Amino acid sequence: MKSKDMPNLRIFFPLMKKGILLCCLTQFLGCLNLWGLGPSLHQTLLQKHCIECHGLDGKVKGKVDLLTYAQGRGDIREDDELLQMVMEVIDFGEMPPEEKDPIPELERGQLVKELKQLLRQAVEGENETARSPIRRMTRLQYANAVEDLLQLKVVLYPLPERMMRDRSGYFKPETGRMPEKMTVSSRPLGKSGLIEPRMDGLAPFPQDLRAEHGYDTQGDHLSLSPLLMEDFFRLGRSIVQSPSFTPKNVGAWADYFAELPEDGDAKLEVRKRLTKLLTHAFRRPVDRSILRKYQAYAEGSLDRGLSLAEVMKESLSAILASPRFLYLYDLQSEDEPDSSRTPNFDLASRLSFFLWGSLPDQELVGLAGSGRLVEEEILVGQVDRMLRDRKLKRFCDSFPTQWLQLDRIISAVPDEKKYKDFYYAAPLYRTTMDMMMEPLLLFETVLIEDRSVLELIDSNYTFRSPRLRKWYGDAPEGKLGGPVSIPFARQFVEDRRHGGVITNGAVMTMTSGPLETKPITRGAWIAGVIFNSPPPPPPAEVPPLPEEKELDESLTLRERFADHRERADCAGCHEKLDPLGFALENFDPVGRWREKYHNGREVDASGILFRTHEFSNLIEFKDAILKEKNRFVRGLAGHLLAFGLGRELNPSDTLALDEIVERVEGENYSMKSLIHAVVQSNPFRGPSGKLALHKTK
Amino acid sequence: MKTMTNMGRRTFLRGMGTSALALPWMESLAVGGNHFQIPQRAAFYYVPIGVVRKTFFPGEEKSAVQQKFTNDNFDAESTRSNIEVGLHDLQLTPTMKPLKDLKDKVTLITGLDRTFQPGTDVHAQCASCFLSSASPFSLKHTPYPQARSLDHILADEIGTKTPFKTLEFSCNSHKDNKESIQFDNISWYGTEHVAPSMRDPLLAYRRLFKSDERSAYRNITDLVLEDARSLKRDLGYSDQQKFAEYFDSIRAIETQISRLDGMKNELSKVDLDIPMDGKMPRGEYIRLMGDLMVASLQSGLTNVATFMVGPERWDTPYLFESLFDKPKSHHMMSHNQGKFIEDLIKVDHFYMEQFAYLCEKMDRIEEANGKTLLDNIMFTYGSGLGDGSTHQYSALPIIVAGSGGGKFITGKHLNVSSKSGLVKKVGGTYKTPEGGVPLANLWLTQAQAMGVGMDRFADSTGVLPFLMS
Repeated sequence: MKSKDMPNLRIFFPLMKKGILLCCLTQFLGCLNLWGLGPSLHQTLLQKHCIECHGLDGKVKGKVDLLTYAQGRGDIREDDELLQMVMEVIDFGEMPPEEKDPIPELERGQLVKELKQLLRQAVEGENETARSPIRRMTRLQYANAVEDLLQLKVVLYPLPERMMRDRSGYFKPETGRMPEKMTVSSRPLGKSGLIEPRMDGLAPFPQDLRAEHGYDTQGDHLSLSPLLMEDFFRLGRSIVQSPSFTPKNVGAWADYFAELPEDGDAKLEVRKRLTKLLTHAFRRPVDRSILRKYQAYAEGSLDRGLSLAEVMKESLSAILASPRFLYLYDLQSEDEPDSSRTPNFDLASRLSFFLWGSLPDQELVGLAGSGRLVEEEILVGQVDRMLRDRKLKRFCDSFPTQWLQLDRIISAVPDEKKYKDFYYAAPLYRTTMDMMMEPLLLFETVLIEDRSVLELIDSNYTFRSPRLRKWYGDAPEGKLGGPVSIPFARQFVEDRRHGGVITNGAVMTMTSGPLETKPITRGAWIAGVIFNSPPPPPPAEVPPLPEEKELDESLTLRERFADHRERADCAGCHEKLDPLGFALENFDPVGRWREKYHNGREVDASGILFRTHEFSNLIEFKDAILKEKNRFVRGLAGHLLAFGLGRELNPSDTLALDEIVERVEGENYSMKSLIHAVVQSNPFRGPSGKLALHKTK
Repeated sequence: MKTMTNMGRRTFLRGMGTSALALPWMESLAVGGNHFQIPQRAAFYYVPIGVVRKTFFPGEEKSAVQQKFTNDNFDAESTRSNIEVGLHDLQLTPTMKPLKDLKDKVTLITGLDRTFQPGTDVHAQCASCFLSSASPFSLKHTPYPQARSLDHILADEIGTKTPFKTLEFSCNSHKDNKESIQFDNISWYGTEHVAPSMRDPLLAYRRLFKSDERSAYRNITDLVLEDARSLKRDLGYSDQQKFAEYFDSIRAIETQISRLDGMKNELSKVDLDIPMDGKMPRGEYIRLMGDLMVASLQSGLTNVATFMVGPERWDTPYLFESLFDKPKSHHMMSHNQGKFIEDLIKVDHFYMEQFAYLCEKMDRIEEANGKTLLDNIMFTYGSGLGDGSTHQYSALPIIVAGSGGGKFITGKHLNVSSKSGLVKKVGGTYKTPEGGVPLANLWLTQAQAMGVGMDRFADSTGVLPFLMS
């Protein structure tokens, strides 16, 4: 279910930190209230702090009306989306607005707790967990799936969405270690002289676009049309007709396309080969009736005089256009017994498309077939195995770039005059090409080396190319590298301003305009990416910030924004976004450190995070985020879950996120424990998650 | 995007001009069944990011440029032209000048509004819901008031006999789009079900005029349909609904195959050079895609087409070759009219030139009833924003070219509201535009004229007065 009026309902905030001192009396009253004895705390506090603007005298700001609930005439649990939003804005300190009296700290904590409990009750009452809709594969998934199905030794087609290319074979997750040095190249921004060997003569279908605050895997964005279906037909044919479709390039040639041995029975052989091919392509044991149809089709072709290899190629091009190949879907219905094999096969596909962006392999399908994949121990073992497999690169090719919204770097164009050194070599390559690798390599390291996810906020190492080192102020020797391939090396960073995925040049540059930083854009990035709490879309009319020249040149950016903040209709979002964005003001529009603006005024990066943690500079800002580490982990868990499930999350996923955070906290925030926890969560395991599985803890 | 060399491009165009457009009308239309009936046709030309009002709208020459505006103090009143409701002589404003040779065949319609439903990006909604048949706030499961778009509703009536029920064209050649699909598509089969557009002229050409490779699909459609039927039985209810798109797509392709087979002889007479790779200036690219659209409408490949000259809100600067020596971002400039007004006017003019080119092209094609393709079609120019600077949905720029086979008056300026115009914000939200007429009234008028039996379209309140001849 999507939100009706409030787009920020789609978001999820972490649990309040445990251990808040509770006022015994309040707690006691709260208990009474839950038993229905007198007005509960939330009713009292909503009355006192909220309804003045949200319900009283017909005033319903932001279309939020809380009057009936505050007066106990309605049960807020009946509107779980509203309940969740109310809980979140109070928890995040967004409401009540600054000019109103704040809710006293103790009461606020207790209120959030109570609202959370109500939310739990609300969603526990729902007997249906949200299901991922049936959806076709993305372009990237299609390429991966065909490559795996045929064990191709070349790529199917080049994909700009795969932003970072491994040029030195550094990606070896089985070692549990990222090397100190690697060579990479950039597909979207680099020189495409050296693209990997691929199948000739193929035209891929168009790239699938990322949903707003979401992923390209999101089901409602993946529909089919005659135009696209024609593309699939054409693609399926051009694959088998490609001059590169040879025994040398097709690893599975012997299994499917070898000529018939002299004493062989063609029809028997076709049946054998089709069974294997269909099982792999359709990710489930193939129904007899389906097999029979493909067999009849193949035998017809044999009778027409085609060779076995030709027949198999024809069959393959049909299989690649079948909905059982092209679509991702769950078959299990709510009332099916959990012990059946269906949830196992559903889970095998969900797992492999999550971590490998592709078909499950034989081992996964085999375990699903024996009904054992849903068993916790088996599942853990399989996830561990998958995390050590090189196919994990596909996950790294799609999740981190979309999570960090690095696609925005393509349209980042710093002013050519002001930032001349940002561009190099004809026809003007951009330093962003090097920049975008830094957070991606960090992400891969945290994953492969199973480090703490908190290093994504604050790490004492990073990866830099010579050009980047120079950019940040070092004096590297030798060539700077690029634009075809770029050497990177891990380096220790003592300076806490650097490290982590936030303060790198890529993010700082893509959240700036050509001449100036955009603190609101940066704030929205932090809110959406780091805390998974994106602001509502900007209002229809965003007046341009008055240009420096039009105003007093001696003002700082923050002062020029002051007008904005004073406007009642802008204040709401600005209160939330400003502190997040202005904290990063020391980084200029191309990600370089500055103490002063060019008019000589000092940069002021101070602020308060969630109205709780004061900070006076960037490092304290990072510390403030780390104080809210569970909010970050919850946000990241939500991102992973939405990516893996192919749908937006909703209130019924809240409980799962709480549990994930709890588990990850107990495992020192390790990245792999996060992935395990996501996979084991009820929404990911699907209806099968309702099986009473033993928890490891 | 695959593009072509200038050489290849010229040959290609010449091919289009001499052969495709010289198709004998009777043969090409024979596919439609009746030899003597001119089919009803409709096309839509979408311009992103609004226009500069003062050079587009009559009576607003002196309106304020939204120079240093902040929400409250900009001069909304100055955008009210105080033109009476009714028909007026058509005065060509500077932006409309490219239409001067077609003045008798176009109608400017002013006073039309849409309603923004808060909760989505304003650019995303103005494109994806421009032709939407859903009223604002009417759908619960999506933040977009978006349902089957007008082009498909028209095609359900007038596009049932052509190989392609509708065709969608776009001139967004960017490979690396950071925006979601809503910014980039005006044509939708239904809620969240996009009708993607053809963007590559070479691929579009092959799809439309070279049907040979398609017949190879014929023998596998039966097979995959069997798979689809058995799969459907196993799916839950809501998945079954979405999965209908697979059947619809396969059936559409089967229809295409058999109908294109029927047209094979005529289509084979279209002698075109295959365009080569190479860089193509923006104007040429738009005109080439337009040529393909015109040829499709003329030859009976389709009766309904949409044409998007560019995506909403795309920030990456691109080169408008004939206008600027450096790439410029239309969207970025639109946020600062004070500074970029001259350049923005050039962009508006540039898009109007391309529209005029297509109209003129249609007007040179004579059809069986002695009239031109332009006379026989209904070709609508429009944008989802009344003003690119304030992002308002009111007072939209709309021009209808052609008379739909004599159904509409032309050569006039029709103003349908004296109150439509930009509005101010009061208490943080825009005042609802007073008295503007829903754009849906135009869509309803057009749908009825094409024979669609409906008495309401989205939030329409009735048909537009004065428009029917």
